[in-house]
Amino acid sequence: MSDLVLDHVSKRYSVQHRVEVKNGWRALRQRFRELRGRTDEFWALRDVSFEVARGETLGIIGHNGAGKSTILKLLSKVTTPTSGEIRIGGRLSALIEVGSGFHPELTGRENIYLSASIMGMRRREIVEKLERIIDFSGVGDFIDTPVKHYSSGMYVRLGFSIAAHLEPDILLLDEVLAVGDATFQAKCLDRINQLHGEGRTIVFISHDLASVERLCGRVLLLDHGQVIASGSARDVIETYWEAGRTRRSSEQLDRSVECSREVEVRSVTCHDASGQEATAFRTGSPVTVRLKYAAHVTMADVIVELYVHSIVAGQYGAWFQLTTASGGNGEPLRLEQGDGEIEFDIDELALLPGVCQLSARIAHQGQPSNKAIDWLHNCLTLRVDPGKSVRGTFYTPHRWRLVRASHRLESERMEHSPLATSSSGGK
Amino acid sequence: MKQIGTIVDGNELPVTGRESTSRTPDSARAGDQVPEKVSEPHPTTIIRAPTLSMKSLAHAMRELFEYRDLLYTLSVHRLKVRYKQSVLGPTWAILQPLLLMLIFTVVFSRIVRLPSDGIPYALFAYSALLPWTYFSSSLSSATNSLVSHFSLVTKVYFPREILPLTYVIAGLIDFLLASLVLGALLVYYHVSLTVHAFMAIPTIAVLTVFTVAMSFVLSTIQVRYRDVGVAMPLILQLWMFATPIVYPLSVVPNRWRGLYELNPMVGIVESLRRVIVQGLPPDFHALGVSAAVSAILLPIAFLYFKRAEATVADII
Repeated sequence: MSDLVLDHVSKRYSVQHRVEVKNGWRALRQRFRELRGRTDEFWALRDVSFEVARGETLGIIGHNGAGKSTILKLLSKVTTPTSGEIRIGGRLSALIEVGSGFHPELTGRENIYLSASIMGMRRREIVEKLERIIDFSGVGDFIDTPVKHYSSGMYVRLGFSIAAHLEPDILLLDEVLAVGDATFQAKCLDRINQLHGEGRTIVFISHDLASVERLCGRVLLLDHGQVIASGSARDVIETYWEAGRTRRSSEQLDRSVECSREVEVRSVTCHDASGQEATAFRTGSPVTVRLKYAAHVTMADVIVELYVHSIVAGQYGAWFQLTTASGGNGEPLRLEQGDGEIEFDIDELALLPGVCQLSARIAHQGQPSNKAIDWLHNCLTLRVDPGKSVRGTFYTPHRWRLVRASHRLESERMEHSPLATSSSGGK
Repeated sequence: MKQIGTIVDGNELPVTGRESTSRTPDSARAGDQVPEKVSEPHPTTIIRAPTLSMKSLAHAMRELFEYRDLLYTLSVHRLKVRYKQSVLGPTWAILQPLLLMLIFTVVFSRIVRLPSDGIPYALFAYSALLPWTYFSSSLSSATNSLVSHFSLVTKVYFPREILPLTYVIAGLIDFLLASLVLGALLVYYHVSLTVHAFMAIPTIAVLTVFTVAMSFVLSTIQVRYRDVGVAMPLILQLWMFATPIVYPLSVVPNRWRGLYELNPMVGIVESLRRVIVQGLPPDFHALGVSAAVSAILLPIAFLYFKRAEATVADII
C-alpha cells in the first residue's frame, strides 16, 4: 500500500520580468500586467509520478533548481500543482525550518502552543505533550521567558522539540540536517531513525548525499523538473555524480575571467595508491592529485593551489587546501616554459563519505584572491566512500599506543590498523 | 489563463483514471491533515489543481472547523502580542474610540454644531465610533495579514483564512471592551436601555459578517497588489464620512437615501445607535440592505479567498 502518490504532477510558475517602460498610461498597464503574472512561465515540475510505500524512506536529490523544493512545497500543501494530483494517506508533517511561527515577545511556553498549532497539533494534544516538549528542548527554567531573550541554540532546540513531537504518519525532511550543531544533528538523526523504526514513511529532500545514502532505502534523482533516475541509494547517487562529471567535461572546464593566463591548468585528476586514475576514494585512503599545466612563458614566483570544497559552498568555503606555498622550503615555485605536472600527495584522506569538488588556482605569490594567473572552478568532482572512522566532521590520521599496563610497562608503538581505529576513533 | 489550484477532498471529484479506494465514508469526510485520533484509519488528502464549486466551499468550511484550535490560539496570541510591550495595554482598545469621540465632540458639537437627533453629542458620536473602530481597525490589519505572515505562508499549510479571521476576532474583543465605556456614558447621561437593545446582537453579527467578507477580499488582493494596503487609510477615512458617524442619518437628503444606504455600514451604525441610545427599533430597511449585502458577499469572498489561497505562496 502506498502512503504517498504523485500522479503526473506538473507545476508551472510565472516569472516576472521587469521591463522598463516609459512613463504614462502604458507603463501603468504594463505594471498591471506584470503583477497579474501574465508574463513568462517555466515548469518547475513536469509530469512527475512516483509512489512511496508505507514505512519506506525515500530520498530525493538533484541539483539546485531541479524541482526539489517545489516537491517539498507541494507535499506540504503550501502550494498546489498546476496539473496532476497528489494523494497523501495520513497525517503529513514537514520538519522544515525549525522555529517557524515563533513570536519573539511570547514566552517559550506560549510559543509552544502557537508553533505547535500552526504545525497542525490539536490543543488537547499540546497540553498532553507540553511537559515532554519542554524536557526534550532542555531550555529548563527559561520556558517562561520571552524567546527574544533566548540564545540561538535554545531557540533551535525548542523549535525542533516541537517538531519532533508531531508524530506524523509521513515525515517530510528538508535540509534540516544541515543546520545546527553536531548535537542537534545527532538528535535529528536519532529521532528520524526512531520514526523509521516505528514504521513511519519518510521523504528526505537533500543535497547531502552522505545522509541520503545513510537514511534512504530508495532515491529519486530530479533534473529539470523530471525524475531521471530511481532506485537504490547507491545506484542513483552514482548516476547523479556521473551526470555532474560529464557536465563538467562538456562545459570545457569552467574558467574564471580575471586571469592573465601565462600559465594554464590543463587538467586535474586524482589517482589511488596504485597510480590508477579514480573519482571515488575511501576515507583515510591515500590520494594523489595530479595537475597538468602549460606555461607559455617562464614564471618565477608561482603558487599552485587546489581547493577542496562541497558542491554547495564553492572554493570560498573550502574544507581544505593543497598548496605549493606550504610544501618544500616555502619558496615560490619556478615554472619553466612548456608543459608540466605537479603532484600533491595526501597520505590519508580526511573527508567523510559524501561528494566534494576541486578547484585549481595558479597565482603569483601574494596576489589578491580576486586575481590569478589561471583559475578553474569545480574542475573535478570526487565521491568519498565509507572507509576509516565515521563519526565527527572529518577523519584525522592518528596512531595510538598502550603506555602503561597493570603487569608491566609497555611502550609498544602500534601501526594504525582497522581494529585500532574502531577502538580509538569511536568518539 | 493562469490556473489556480485548490485543495479538494478526495471523494468529491471524479478522478482521471478512477481508482477504487478502500476508505470508509467517515475517513473520507475527515480528508485533512489533522485526523481526530491518530489511531483512526488514514484519511487521504488529495491535492490537485483548481475547482470552484459549492462542494469546495463545504470542504473549506469543514477544514476550517478542523483547525479551530489554531484559530483560537492565534486569536489569543493576537491580543497578547498587541499589548505586550505597551504601558497602557488593553486600555488602548478603549482609548482609541474614546479619544476620537472627544475630538469629534469638540469639533462637531462645540465648534461646528452639527445636529445629533437630540442625543448628547458625546454619546451620539461614541455609539457610532464603537462599531466603526471595530470595522476599520479589523479591516486594516486583516488586509495585510497574509503579506505580514509571509514566512509562515510559504512554509507551513493551514487554512489561510485563519489569519484575517484572527484580526477580526481580536477586533471584536476590543469592541466588547470599549463597549464598557458606552455603558458608562449611558449611565452618565441617564439613558436607560429599552427592549430594542436586544437588536444590537443581530446588528453586531451583520457587522462581523461584513467585516470578515471584506477582510477576505482585501487580504487576497493585497497579496498581488500592495496598493490596497497603501490606500487603506484613505479609503477608510472616506468611508467613515460616507457613514452617519459624526452626523445623523436624518440630515441625508431623501432623494440620496437609497444610494446612501447601499453602504452596508449605514444600516449597521444607524441601527446600533437607534437600539442602544435612542431606544428605538432598528432601521429595518437600511439594516436589511446591510444584511443582504453581507450574506451575499461572504460566500463569494470566501470562495475567492480559497481559490487564491492555493497559489498565494507562489506570488507573495
